[in-house]
Amino acid sequence: MIFRIAWRNIWRSPLRSWVVIVAIAMGVWAVIFLMGFSIGMGNSYVVSAIRLEVSHIQLHHPEYLKDFDVRYYIERADTLAREVAQEAGVRHVSPRTLVHGMVATARGSRALRVRGIDPQAEAAISQLDAKLVEGAYLPQGKRHAIYMGKKLAERLGVRLRSRVVLTFQDIDGHITSAAFRVAGLFDTNNNAFEESTALVRREVLNEILGYTGIAHEVAVLLDDAALADTVAARLQARFPQLDVQTYVQRSPEIRLFESQISTSVYIIMVIVMLGLIFGIINTMLMAVLERVRELGMLMAIGMNRFRIFAMIVLETVMLGVVGTPMGIALGAVMIQWFQIHGLDLSHYAQEGLAEFGISAIIYPDVYPGMYVELAIAVFITAMLGSIYPALKAIHLRPVEALRKI
Amino acid sequence: MIVIKAQGLTKVYNPDTVPVHALRSVDLEVHQGEFTAIVGPSGSGKTTLLNILGGLDRPTAGKVWINGTDISTLSENKLIDFRRDHIGFVFQSYNLIPVLTARENAEFVMLLQKWPRAERLARTEQLLREVGLADKMDYRPSQLSGGQQQRVAVVRALAPKPRFILADEPTANLDSVSTRNLLDIMARLNEEERVTFLFSTHDQRVIERARRVVTLEDGKIVADETFDR
Repeated sequence: MIFRIAWRNIWRSPLRSWVVIVAIAMGVWAVIFLMGFSIGMGNSYVVSAIRLEVSHIQLHHPEYLKDFDVRYYIERADTLAREVAQEAGVRHVSPRTLVHGMVATARGSRALRVRGIDPQAEAAISQLDAKLVEGAYLPQGKRHAIYMGKKLAERLGVRLRSRVVLTFQDIDGHITSAAFRVAGLFDTNNNAFEESTALVRREVLNEILGYTGIAHEVAVLLDDAALADTVAARLQARFPQLDVQTYVQRSPEIRLFESQISTSVYIIMVIVMLGLIFGIINTMLMAVLERVRELGMLMAIGMNRFRIFAMIVLETVMLGVVGTPMGIALGAVMIQWFQIHGLDLSHYAQEGLAEFGISAIIYPDVYPGMYVELAIAVFITAMLGSIYPALKAIHLRPVEALRKI
Repeated sequence: MIVIKAQGLTKVYNPDTVPVHALRSVDLEVHQGEFTAIVGPSGSGKTTLLNILGGLDRPTAGKVWINGTDISTLSENKLIDFRRDHIGFVFQSYNLIPVLTARENAEFVMLLQKWPRAERLARTEQLLREVGLADKMDYRPSQLSGGQQQRVAVVRALAPKPRFILADEPTANLDSVSTRNLLDIMARLNEEERVTFLFSTHDQRVIERARRVVTLEDGKIVADETFDR
């Protein structure tokens, strides 16, 4: 009977109830959207960092990461890459020869990180072939081709087929130079990477360094990022002479970014729920104060305080029960739509986002458990919001309440 | 058998500021099956007396026993349960639950008392039929006239078989036909169910039907008459 009374009570003032229900639905929708947006943005950053820079796991000579000295290389890197590729959970492997030097053109020079790669293996990890905007991605037959970011080309004042000279220290400590011709330009939406990194063929870079078959880094992409620790431990055990690190070890800022996003998502949820709670208190207080006489009568004829309290709490929870699925449905449909079409921010924040390596097109994402968390949050909010009005109701004295007009 | 016993009931409102003496040492005994009217001018203390006898208010001094239980010693929560189990209330302005139908209103207290469903429905329907509301059982209060609402209120008070029914000015908002109908019903139920009725009123038509009339003036009983009707 309490359920029946509570349910019918919320429809005594349909407009007022709908205002709260819509407020709850909009709050839930807003949280889903903001969560989806934040997670989508985070994913974009993490995916960009993993794909372009650190992959899921990297193998190095144990001394290499101390100061990126070219002398600390991995021998027979191709054999190693093949062996690593056999490991369960490993999807792609790319051996990289890395040098830090200068790139010079007729217009000027800049510091540059040169990545010597096997085009096919690297494309599978960094997908830089898909970022091509002009020319070709290290074409067959053009040994001294260089593939660089569009922004770097602009800064160097070079175009396709322009000649650039790379200067760096070889493994024996001699300064060496080599000329390359710009074969292709890429655009990654990651300014830092684009302006600092260029790709050449690994075998050519190795020849300039004077050693064949070497690499400074073996990048590994897994089927699932969650496997990183397990696979890294297996690889470390298998190749104890190498330093095996996961993307979290290589780039702790990724974990920081992820945790900041998850923290901000919960802060957003708390703020929205705080807003909701005051709306709920206001509505339920009105509902109680306009029914003082009726509540007094209920207590007079024997409805005890626990039942009165439960009735007010139930009324509030029922408002949430109606509003929450509406908000979740609206939010889920919207997330689905944007997951397909993307949320294009290129007109507003392309440059700003690119500085952080985040794509201007965000694909919002939410994990299914989030809907449950949100429903629980609304339930708790409704419960908390109902406490004050319910206390107000049970502290009425029947003899006084019955005299209220 | 004594159903209600009040001894030395005194009620003072605003004792610390402007004291108002609503009741002055009232003694009263009401027996099983009585049909008693408490009468008196406005401000004489009728409603205060009824509220205290019904456990809705506490006296400044004095005691009330209902079926031998001293209700002044009960906590607020126990008092609510006591009212539910022993006392029926009929209020001047009906005070039905607006979101429930006549039938649901009538069975409400029985539900609180956890009556079995079949018994509850049978008794509710029987009483609603007896008061002439057989065709209005599924109507909400807003769809009923004042007289019909008050009949539902009487059924609600009577249905769980309380020891007695307290009715505060039950006919004050009713026209003469509704008043007569209601009094007929109350008198018949008093006879048939042997339930004790105690009501406050200044309606002469009600006073004429009462078998005992207790007159209050300035918070004191000034007359207590019994009639053979």
